[in-house]
Amino acid sequence: MLSTKEIKQRIRSITSIKQITRAMEMVAASRLKKVESRVLASRAYTERMQQVLSHLASSMPSEKSHPLFTKKEGGIPVIKIVLITADKGLCGAYNNNIIQKTLKFIKENTGKPIRLIHIGKKGNLYFSKGGYTIEKYFPENVEKFGYNQVKTLVSQLIDGYEAGEFGQLYLFFTKFNTMMQYSPTSVRLLPMGKDTFKSKVIAKGEYIFEPSAEQIIEHLFPKYIETQIYQCILESLTSEYAARRVAMISATENAGEMIDELTRSYNKARQETITKELLEIVSGAEALTQG
Amino acid sequence: MAKTFKLEIITPEKVVYDNTVQGVTAEGTEGSFGVLAGHAAMITELQTGILTLSDANNKTERFALDSGFMEILANNVIVLTDACTKEGEVDVEKATAEKASAEKALLKVGADVEKEKAKAALKRANTLLKLANK
Repeated sequence: MLSTKEIKQRIRSITSIKQITRAMEMVAASRLKKVESRVLASRAYTERMQQVLSHLASSMPSEKSHPLFTKKEGGIPVIKIVLITADKGLCGAYNNNIIQKTLKFIKENTGKPIRLIHIGKKGNLYFSKGGYTIEKYFPENVEKFGYNQVKTLVSQLIDGYEAGEFGQLYLFFTKFNTMMQYSPTSVRLLPMGKDTFKSKVIAKGEYIFEPSAEQIIEHLFPKYIETQIYQCILESLTSEYAARRVAMISATENAGEMIDELTRSYNKARQETITKELLEIVSGAEALTQG
Repeated sequence: MAKTFKLEIITPEKVVYDNTVQGVTAEGTEGSFGVLAGHAAMITELQTGILTLSDANNKTERFALDSGFMEILANNVIVLTDACTKEGEVDVEKATAEKASAEKALLKVGADVEKEKAKAALKRANTLLKLANK
């Protein structure tokens, strides 16, 4: 049995832990709110962009299919993966889930050279051990990863793809569904098969293109990939904050429970010492009267 | 009453406009053009410039657009652009400062990419100022 002093000390330390987790929860909640409105706003843009691009792809003269849409002849086996994780832990299974999903994908593609591009410290940390090829790692915070950086990354990727450096590009991120639900997801960005677009074919060959379909694709396509990656970064960030918030809420709750329990045992221990002292006094007094 | 159609102006940050309108004029890469209800299906590139629309009550609204795209399909017009500022919401001070810095960047000898960037920034700032001064 712990002494009252020791119990008191533990209560104190757990109280301060509780304060910290509570503060972290609040920070995550406020960040979540900010980023959530951004993610919802940019979803509209991404969806519309996808719609326009799918109309464009489906009404293109098929013999003039753009190289970005179809697999290259000869099949270059190199696969590039862009993985978005968090910079920090303490957010439940968030990092682990997306890393496991990536690992599974890598296992399914053994034999093919895989190059990883990391946005987020945790993914980089994990894959820097175990002989994986890390092509690039962006050391800045995920939160500060701006649209301009996405733009640079995408233009490098597209140049590399067109030069035949790699054959496929995948993006691994965590999709934000609701406060309590986020799913690790992967999408193939390159080549973009026509199957990528789910919307039905309308107005085939009836579009007027200005200046020309090729030129529009030339400009619209990189933009589409940019928005896609940017959107996925936002989705991941939102999921991260939501996950951290939930993790911190349960940590705070657990700390509270622990404090309750410790307080109970503290009271018990205190009562015991009082009883013991009383007994000593009583028996002492009795000894006196008898004597 | 004149025929109307649906117009959406969307940027990565927000849906700027979503309403029925009677007509739109915008600046495409091939020059400015107008859209009325019943326009043929079209996808076109837009350059930095001013978009003017007249809404269902024949009220005119103007927006400064960044480069982007417009899709017209079955009386639905979608404008996708990097940034869009409504008339009356232009930050003149900021636009003037941007114009000055872009002009400065243009004078410097630099890579072509830098020049292109500066040119685009200058055009953006000029469009904003034009919108502010009417």
